[in-house]
Parts: sequence; C-alpha cells; structure tokens
Amino acid sequence: MVALSLAGSLLLPVLLAAMLPWPSLRRVGLGLAPLAPLPALGLAVWPTAEVVLDLPAVLLGTRLGLDETGRLFLLFTALTWLAAGLYARAYLAEDARRTRFWAFFLATQAGNLGVCLALDLGSFYTFFALMTFAAYGLVVHTGSAEAWRAGRIYLMLAVLGEVTLLAGLMMAAHAAGSLLVADLRATALPPLAAVLVVAGLGVKVGLPLLHMWLPLAHPVAPVPASAVLSGVMLKAGLLGWLRFLPLGQQALPELGATLMVLGLVAMFYGVAVGLAQRDIKVVLAYSSVSQLGFMTLGVGAGLLAPGLWPGLLPAIGLYALHHALAKSALFLGAGVALRAGGCAWVLTGLALPALALAGAPLTGGELAKAALKGALAGLPPPWAELTHLALPLAAVGTTLLMARLLWLASRLQGNAGATGLVPSWLVWTALGLVLPWAMTPGSSAAWASLTSALWPILAGIALAMIAVRLRLSAPTIPPGDLLVPLERTWLGLMRLRQARVASFEG
Amino acid sequence: MTVNEALPLAVLASSFLPGLFIFALPEQRVILRSALNLLGAVSKLIFVILLLDGVAGGEQYGFRHTVLPGIELVFKADALALLFVTLSTVLWLFTTVYAIGYLEDSPHRSRFFGFFSLCVTATVGLAMAGNLYTFFVFYELLTLSTFPLVVHRGTPQAMRGGMVYLAYTLAGGAVLLTGIVWLHALAGTPEFAHGGYLSAQAALHPTQLSIAFLLLIIGVGVKAAIVPLHGWLPQAMVAPAPVSALLHAVAVVKAGAFGVARIVYEVYGVEYAQALGLLAPLAIAAAITIVWGSFRALFQDDLKKRLAYSTVSQVSYIVLGVALFGPVGTIGGLVHLVHQGIMKITLFFCAGNYAETLGLHKVSDLDGAGRRMPLTSIAFSIAAFGMIGVAPTAGYVSKWYLGEGGLAAGMDWVVAVLWTSSLLNAAYFLPILYRLWFRPAPAVWPAEHIPARGWRETEWLLLLPPLVTAAAVLVAGLAAETDWSPLAWAKLIADREYLHWSP
Repeated sequence: MVALSLAGSLLLPVLLAAMLPWPSLRRVGLGLAPLAPLPALGLAVWPTAEVVLDLPAVLLGTRLGLDETGRLFLLFTALTWLAAGLYARAYLAEDARRTRFWAFFLATQAGNLGVCLALDLGSFYTFFALMTFAAYGLVVHTGSAEAWRAGRIYLMLAVLGEVTLLAGLMMAAHAAGSLLVADLRATALPPLAAVLVVAGLGVKVGLPLLHMWLPLAHPVAPVPASAVLSGVMLKAGLLGWLRFLPLGQQALPELGATLMVLGLVAMFYGVAVGLAQRDIKVVLAYSSVSQLGFMTLGVGAGLLAPGLWPGLLPAIGLYALHHALAKSALFLGAGVALRAGGCAWVLTGLALPALALAGAPLTGGELAKAALKGALAGLPPPWAELTHLALPLAAVGTTLLMARLLWLASRLQGNAGATGLVPSWLVWTALGLVLPWAMTPGSSAAWASLTSALWPILAGIALAMIAVRLRLSAPTIPPGDLLVPLERTWLGLMRLRQARVASFEG
Repeated sequence: MTVNEALPLAVLASSFLPGLFIFALPEQRVILRSALNLLGAVSKLIFVILLLDGVAGGEQYGFRHTVLPGIELVFKADALALLFVTLSTVLWLFTTVYAIGYLEDSPHRSRFFGFFSLCVTATVGLAMAGNLYTFFVFYELLTLSTFPLVVHRGTPQAMRGGMVYLAYTLAGGAVLLTGIVWLHALAGTPEFAHGGYLSAQAALHPTQLSIAFLLLIIGVGVKAAIVPLHGWLPQAMVAPAPVSALLHAVAVVKAGAFGVARIVYEVYGVEYAQALGLLAPLAIAAAITIVWGSFRALFQDDLKKRLAYSTVSQVSYIVLGVALFGPVGTIGGLVHLVHQGIMKITLFFCAGNYAETLGLHKVSDLDGAGRRMPLTSIAFSIAAFGMIGVAPTAGYVSKWYLGEGGLAAGMDWVVAVLWTSSLLNAAYFLPILYRLWFRPAPAVWPAEHIPARGWRETEWLLLLPPLVTAAAVLVAGLAAETDWSPLAWAKLIADREYLHWSP
C-alpha cells in the first residue's frame, strides 16, 4: 500500500504530463494537473515508519523510500508544488502556451519529488536530471529575449553541474562499492569526490560564482515557476549534499572551511547585490542566494566538525522548510503585486513572509535561525565567534533587503486583475507562518531568544528608514552581476577571433 | 553436420542468399524484393534468438572448414560474437524497413539491397570469425560490399567520398594483413581463445608481439575511426541515410571496435596485453579520439557531419572500455557497443527523416521542426540525451560503467575524459534540441516532399524504425539490470573473458 502510494506520487505527474499532447485528454489533464503532488503529500504525512521500495531491475539497482530527512523534504516540496500549481491555474488562465507550461511544470515536479524519494545514486541522478532539464522549459516560457538569455546561462551552468555531480558520484560509488545512499554514508569518501559533489550540486544551491544563473532565471520564469525554483528546487541540491557527503561520519576540514566561507560570502553578497536591484523578482532571487548561504554554512560546519552534526541536521532541515514556505509565499505575492499593484493589503501580505525570512520574533524564521545559531555555537574557534557575529548581521541585511522589496513593491502600478491569485497566495502565506511552529516540538526556546531576534530587525528597519529619508539610491548592478563582464569578455574575444579570420580571408 | 554447426551457417546464409537473389531481380519487382529482404532479416533474427538461448545455457556453436593446410575458415558463435551479431541483426531489420521507405522510387534499388545484404553478411561473418584469418576475409568483404553503398548516388561528391573511404580502409586492411601474417609466423593462427592464445606461449618475443599488436590495432583502428585514422568517416557522409545509419551504428565502425576487442581479449588476452604494457597507450589513443571527435563536432553545421564526428568520439568509448584493465571497464566498453548502436542509428534515422520529409540538412535549418515532426523529434531528443549520458538512457549506463572501470583500473583520468566529453556532447546536441523545440518554424520548409496528415508526420516506414530504436534506448537504460538487457550480456562476456581475474 505504501509502496503503491510511493510509485503513485512519482507516476501521477508523469501520467498527467503524458495526457497533455492528446487533444481528447487535454482537458482532463489540465484540470487535474494542479493536484498532481497530492499522493506525494499523502505519503509525507502518512504516519508510518521508514518506507523502502527496492527495484533491483530498474536502472543500476534502484531504491526508493523515505527516511526522516527525505520525509521533511518531501513534505515541503509537495506542499510548495501544490500551492504553486493552484496559483498557476489562475495565473496562466489566459496564456496561449499554457499546455506547454504544464507539461514542463509536471515533468519538473516529478523530478523534484523523485529526488526526495531517491535512496540510491542512480535514481537520484535520474530525477535530478529530469528536474534540471525540464525546468528549462519553465525558464524560457515567456519567449522574451531575456528569457532566452537566462535559459542559455541556466542550461550551461546546469549541464556543468550535472556532469560534475556525475563524476563525483562515480568516485563515491567506487569508494563505497555500492550505489545505495546508506552504504555511501558508511564509507570514507575520497576528498576529490566530495569536492565534485559539492561543486556539482553547488550550481543548484547557488554557491557564489555558480549562482549567476539564479538572478536571471528566477525573474523571467512565470511566477508560479519562480516560486518552486526558488522555494524547493534549490533545496534539491541541498538534499543531495545531505545524502552524499559524509556528514557526521568523516571530517573534511578544508572542504568544510571552504564551504563555510562560501556560505558567509553568499549571505552578505546576496544582500549587497540584491539591494542594487530594481525588479522585485530579482531582489527575491538574490535573497535566495543569501538564504541558501545560511544552509551552506551549516553543511560546511558539519564537514568541519562531524560531532555537531546531530544538532545541525534538524536545524538545516527546519531552515530549508522555513525558507521554502516563506520564499515561495513571497514570490506568489510578488506576482499579485505585479498584477494588482502595491496597495496596502498586498504589502501587508508580503510583509509577513518577509518578516519571517528576516527572522523576526514569533516567526518560523526565528525558530530556524535560533536552531542554527545554537548548533553552530559548538564550533571550534574562530568559527564559533565568527558565526555568532555574522548571523545577526546577516539578519540585519535580510531585513534591509526585504525593506527594499516592500519599497519597490509599493511603487508598482497595477493594471491587471489578480483576484484568482489571491486565495492560494493567502492560504499559503498563513500556512507558512504556522507550519514551522507545528513542526518544531521544543519551540518554547524561541521565546528566550526574543531580544536577540528582535534587534537585527529593528536595526534593519531603522537603516531602511534612514535610507529612505536621505533619499539614498543604490547603484544599479545588472542581474547576474559577475556574469555581465564575463559575457562581455567572451563576446569581445569572439569578435576578435572573427576579425582575425576575416583579415586572413581578406 | 549437427545443429550446433548448422546454426552459425544459417545466420550467414539468411542474408547472403536473399542478397544474391536480389541482385538478379529486375528493378520493378518491389514487392518480391521487399519480401525477400524482410524474410532474410526475420529469419536471421529467429536463428540468432536460438543461438542466444543456447549460448546463455553454455552450449557451444561453431563450424570449421580447412581451406589449405594450416589455413582454416572457422566460425564460432560465442558470447562476444553474439553481442555483435544480435546488434547487427536487430538493427539490420529496422534499417531494411527504413531503407524500403527511404529509397521508394529511386533508381538502382536491386543493386543497393543486394550490397546491403552482403554488407550484413560480412558483419555477421566477422563477428563469428573464429580466427584472425577468417576475421580478415570478412573484414575485407565488408569494405568491398560497403563501397557501392557509399557511392550509391553516383554524384561527383559521392565518388570522392567513396574513394577516400576505399583508400583508408584498403590501406588499413593491408596493415592488418601484415600484422596477421607476422603473428602467423610467430605463433600460427589458432582459434581465438578466452584469455588469449598468445598468453599461453610465454616464450615469444615481447617486442615483436608489441609491434604486431600495433599493426593489428592500426588495421582495425581505421574502421573504428581512431584519431588520426578517422578522416574517411565524415567524408562518407555523402551516402544515403540508411547507409550512414548502418555504417555508423553497426557495420563498419563497430567492426573496427569489435576487432579491437577480439585482438585484446582473445588473441593476446587482456591480462597478457596488460603485462606487455599495451593497454595504457590504447586507452590514451581512445581518450584523445573521444575528446577530439566531440570537439570537431561542435563546429559542424551539416547535421550528418556533426553526427559523424560524434561517432568518431563515441566509438572510442568502446575502445576505451576494452583498454581498461578489469571486468568493469570491459562491461562498459562492450555494453556501449550495443548502446551506441541503438542511439546512433536513431539519430541517423531522424536526420534522414528531416532531410526526406522537409529537405532539412543543416543544423541551422532545423528551427521549429519539432512542431512539424514531433515523433521524430522526440526520438531524436531521447537519443541525443543518451549520447550526452543523461539518466535514465542507455548512454548513462555505458558511461557509468566506463567511469567505474577507469577507477577500478587505477586510471582516474578516465573520469576527467568522460566529464569533458559529456560537456562537449551537451554543447553540440543541446543546441539542436533547442532549435527543434523552442525556435519558431519558418513560413515554408525548404523542400517539403511528404505532407503531414494527422498523426502521420512522414511515411510510416520512415517513422516507425526510429521510434522503436528510441524506445530501446530508454528500455536499455531503465531495465539495465534485467536478465536480457545488453548489460547482462556484457557481464556474461566479462565473466568468461577474465578467467584468471582476481580483484
């Protein structure tokens, strides 16, 4: 029965996608498409012990199933896809190419859900590839020039990530003599394999320098697609790290330290560049770079100090859950703001998940940040001091960035109806506020950290108000930041080459 | 003559005899010719299935005939032979169906199908050859029977491509013959043996053996298109699409790669070749070919040329796998013999469909063709992802085993070669998919020969073969661990070749 629902949660999106090309089945397929994540959601909340489904004849030997980490990821992944799907039904009601959108949406979803259920390298890689390649169709959906450019950059980095990941997985599997995640976790990983896995998945997570696709792809995709891209698909990379790195088993100090530094850089770099943006969806994308930095920091700490892992894993899981809910709510809200304009009720709706993201008291963000902070406190010096200092400062940064978002949103002029979008957005925002509390049993500890959670928010708001009062305007940095000079250099080189070829021929 | 002797001969005769009849048929006897072709292809398939069943159960099949004292014609249908025989037989069936549709109403069809049948006979004979002498006979027969197919169209360009092809392959054949004669002088020409017959004669001169190895590999390396012996392959692209499909996926390049496998495993023996230090240079040559072929493919706008350079690269995956010491690499190389076959034939069928249906020959012309020919384009996309090595296709399974084989052999650089090649493969295949699916179609196609009618985007005979082979690409990957997958068969061979293997 459980095995059946496991298979069903993967097959339903695929089946619905397969119905779309046939004119006679299209209506039914489109009607049911938003509900495709329901079996997966049922599986995630069904109270059973560990679920395992072995399919030795499929691929190179497949094991699907749910452990505790997988269950958490499946829960927020399925929920976010459900919310985005219901929202997309209204959002794309007038879109001429909506059938194509839904086909890619469902295929990406199948890949994303599969990633949560994969307990061996082969099926993880398969679902990951399906998700990555199908998401290209979401990125380029609008067909604008920016969308094609974003799609090209997305695909280049994604392919680089895929092949690097595969090389790392090959080495890991060779070391373990098995493709099962369980065996892999029990084996000492060659450092090069760990580096390749980190870098390969780092493209998805948006590690600094590998992040350049992110601020291009998220804004051009239709809003529900941005919500899942930013909310849950980035976390597929995080889940891969949790699955394949020897966290809590083996210390890889150099890699751990590098990852922590990258995490810290991302936390502040995302804020700094995000503040220099004009488009609310780009601001949100940079905020994702920054937020994923928090989780990267945690994973790096786990590699540095394996003893801390039992405390870090739940903190990272809670952070991922909280960010998935808040960020997708923000994207869905941004879609409402772009259509209906920045009126008061829209801004209020946006402010709630924005506060949660910044870690304001009594939000899921506060819980997640407190958990992460507590787990990181055990680090050896100088990391403990450094993170103790950096986390509140990053929260100040997040608050500033969210203030920037609200300010930009308040200046939007609405010209289209957004009523269809509102119900799913509001329900989703409310759920996002409640769920992290419901999922955390010992949440009373959060009351204790009330003041330490409050001051970064107040400081951020104060800074934002000063900036508005002084009419400070941020310099404009084009989305993709470092990508732009890189692209220019490349084009210059190509022109040079063409000129040389022409002069030879001339 | 027992059944075990007759069955290999029946496999040969099932394409040879129809071929002879077809030569004699007048041009307009289309139905009889097609019937003969299909009868041959289907009966060959039945014989091969019988053989497969027997060999899996440990049965020995073979036939020998003494030509001159000391020179024997030997056929042996062992597991390695059957890997190639099965591939050829199955793909021949599809290619025949495709060719019947493709060449509808074109001239010289009797000549074409006659040589087509001879070509498959030569391939199957070469696969079942039981010693180097027999191998050489069929290797040359393959050259001679494919030349008329390459120049079939008779245009000046075709003649030029054909002459280049002939020059390369005949020269390669001469080098191969030199190597065979040299070995004959040293050790005679006994039957191929598991573990190699040369390894049993340890008193031989290692230097001479190494030089003979080089000659043999150059000889078969021409057909396997190992850089720098690959120049003929892109030139031979002037052939009609079914011929390109056959040249690239089955007959010619695979004959070369298969020859490498026979020489390494059953003439020298993989362990002896390793002891002589011959495998590492072979692996390096294969690695260079893999990267160089992919790199050159990037710059080809002609679709078939791009696929040709891709073949140069992909066939050396097989050579690389053979050259990796250890059963895992062997499995990777041998399974890719089949996987590359079904993937590449799909791509060539599709390229042929674009050309025949809409007159599209260049990559830059393919804009929007996915909308007009969705089924062909789906097949093309599946095979292209397979070539990149994306799971769950057959190409992923090959690549996985090759990478693991490299690591097992202590050659970690193989992973870097695969990494580079995959990136390059993506760089020349994904732009094609982008054009097919995401670019707007032109108002008018360059030359729309076959109008669309409902679901029939082109002739059924052209459409069905790529759909079936594309499905096979998926099934070979998804069901890799079942008992009747190419992977299972490759494992069986590796099991039998590594007699002395102890990890």
